[in-house]
Amino acid sequence: MLEYYFLLALAISGLMILFKNRTFNQVACTLFALLQIGVVVFAYLHAKETDALYFKYDMLGILLTAVLSILTPITFYHSYLYLQRYSPEIGRQSIYWAALVILITAMTGAYFAENVALLWVCIEVTTLCVTVLVFHDRSKTSLEASWKYLFISSVGVAIAFMGILFLTAVSVESGPKSLNFTDLIANAHTMNATWIKIAFILVLTGFSIKLSIFPLFAAAIDAKTVAPSPANALLSSALVSVGFVGIFRFYAIIAHTDADLWARNVLMITGLISIFLAAVQLFRVKRFTRMYALSTMEHAGIICLALFAGGIGYYAAVLHVVLHSFVKAGLFYQLGQSNYIYKSIWIKDSGAYFKINPLGALVVMLGFFSIVAIPPSGLFVTEFLIFKTLFLQKHYLISIVALILLTAILFQIARFLFHLLFEKNPEQLHDTDFNINKAENIAPFLLFVLAAYLGYSPPGFFVNMINSAIAIIQ
Amino acid sequence: MTYFFIIIYSITLVYFALSERVKKFIVLLAIQGVLLFGIVFFNLGQVALGEFLFVLVETIVVKSVVIPIFLNKVRRNNGLKRVHETEIPVFYSIIVVTVMLMGSFFVSNYLHNEQIHTKFFTVAIASVFFGIYFIIIHKNVFSHLVGYLIIENGIFLLSLAVGSEIPMLVNFAVLLDVLMGVLVIGIFMNRVSDRFQSTSIDELAKLKD
Repeated sequence: MLEYYFLLALAISGLMILFKNRTFNQVACTLFALLQIGVVVFAYLHAKETDALYFKYDMLGILLTAVLSILTPITFYHSYLYLQRYSPEIGRQSIYWAALVILITAMTGAYFAENVALLWVCIEVTTLCVTVLVFHDRSKTSLEASWKYLFISSVGVAIAFMGILFLTAVSVESGPKSLNFTDLIANAHTMNATWIKIAFILVLTGFSIKLSIFPLFAAAIDAKTVAPSPANALLSSALVSVGFVGIFRFYAIIAHTDADLWARNVLMITGLISIFLAAVQLFRVKRFTRMYALSTMEHAGIICLALFAGGIGYYAAVLHVVLHSFVKAGLFYQLGQSNYIYKSIWIKDSGAYFKINPLGALVVMLGFFSIVAIPPSGLFVTEFLIFKTLFLQKHYLISIVALILLTAILFQIARFLFHLLFEKNPEQLHDTDFNINKAENIAPFLLFVLAAYLGYSPPGFFVNMINSAIAIIQ
Repeated sequence: MTYFFIIIYSITLVYFALSERVKKFIVLLAIQGVLLFGIVFFNLGQVALGEFLFVLVETIVVKSVVIPIFLNKVRRNNGLKRVHETEIPVFYSIIVVTVMLMGSFFVSNYLHNEQIHTKFFTVAIASVFFGIYFIIIHKNVFSHLVGYLIIENGIFLLSLAVGSEIPMLVNFAVLLDVLMGVLVIGIFMNRVSDRFQSTSIDELAKLKD
């Protein structure tokens, strides 16, 4: 099935670039969105089965692909609006659509990749697609951001590949010659701890750019600062999940060795540094896009802390990834509308959003509560579970430091979003400059509600899926 | 014979540290591609024809021909002749590369493992670290691309050192990915040069808030 999916996606994106036709692009995107949903259904029905030699429908992959499939049609709709407003040229539109389709395909491949090296290949493909999307508006800043992202990400994934090679060495030494995650986890207990530690550090460093955490976060933050908002919705949600999958699967291997505690400590340090850097940088932020990018970094840091906590923390980590994807994507979709109204991504150019666009402002308000994890946010549940686990394990200092940093982040995000909502109407803004499309607010609103629902009252099958996903660690 | 190629490969690293001419960087990368083929060729035991052809394409065709020709085109488009941007004198760079080679020798011995071929591992690690060092000391995006390719060559050697068992299909995908990456980086470099009228990274600092 997956090989046909890849071929179809390649054909769709190739034809988009070839035909350069608006109607064809719309039809192709609709077909692809349906195909994406079809893949999730097929994967769910064939759970735990292997497909196309090097892919496996495990629960983590199914769960994250389902999230991606929910976001795909919404992203297409908001991309359509974005391109209508800013990029009427059909050539650039077609390149945008083609890159978006390949990005979604590569991310799906990464979620289901059972072979370590193939996971790496899919992640490298995402780098190339993100570069094209970030460069979409052809400005100097987009060129700078895409260059930095492309270069640093390429070096990063090269470093991650070194980690994979080290893993090859220990896996061959300990018996199995397969580089499949299932085999590696099964034989992890026989692996040399020193080598697997080196492999883990290299993979964590390399994939950190995808998860937006320390040390290679800077290029990801820059890319998210200038990327088109609908593409940004995917870069800050589904692509972060790709980074999570990469690190989680390697952690699953090391969790079965004597180096488990060491790896958890590494994740804790990485997570705390990421939250700290996000908090510090938020005090210098002047653009909404950068603020949300740093907020993603904060949440990725929290996910690392959840993995460090272990036990119920694993459940909270996966749930946090899912809920954060919905909330952050929703915020970026809504940001697309406010950017259109103010014709700017700069915080100083915004204000009086409640007066200008009351419905949009309500959605921003709900998004604010959701992203800073204040009830009724679903993220409140996950953060509560994570810190409860940390306190129960007597990691008082780590918890208190993290909570202080999160409070500082909450303060800064509140300051910026309240500026958007309640500050005076910007002088240069005229009512005739824009048409407010109320339908744009539906998807973000529903995503915030869905995140709250899954946080407070998750359906049984959803809980079972998360428990199956984390079973490979326990 | 393998040792001969490995030693020559190490010498190319020293030459990278010595050189300032962009053309020389490209020649050195092409030479490294040939050396990598030599190293693999003299270490192949009984090998299938398909595998041999793959290595031939990866080293000679891609690393020694396609990439250098492409880099030369990028160099000509941007009128690059010399890079003077290094803040560290050449003399110090030679010392650094020597220390890296010695350091990797000691690390290889320290991390002794039956599965690792120390002769490849030493120069592979040195190549990766030197590539990173090369990127850090240069302020030109073209030199950064060269540094990235030095790292890639180091990783190729590392895959020999650990006797990687990656399936052929996946290996092919990896090669295609790397090649695409280099081509896209090169294309973006041209864009950077057109837009900023320079390939210096000092120009790429407008994104900070």
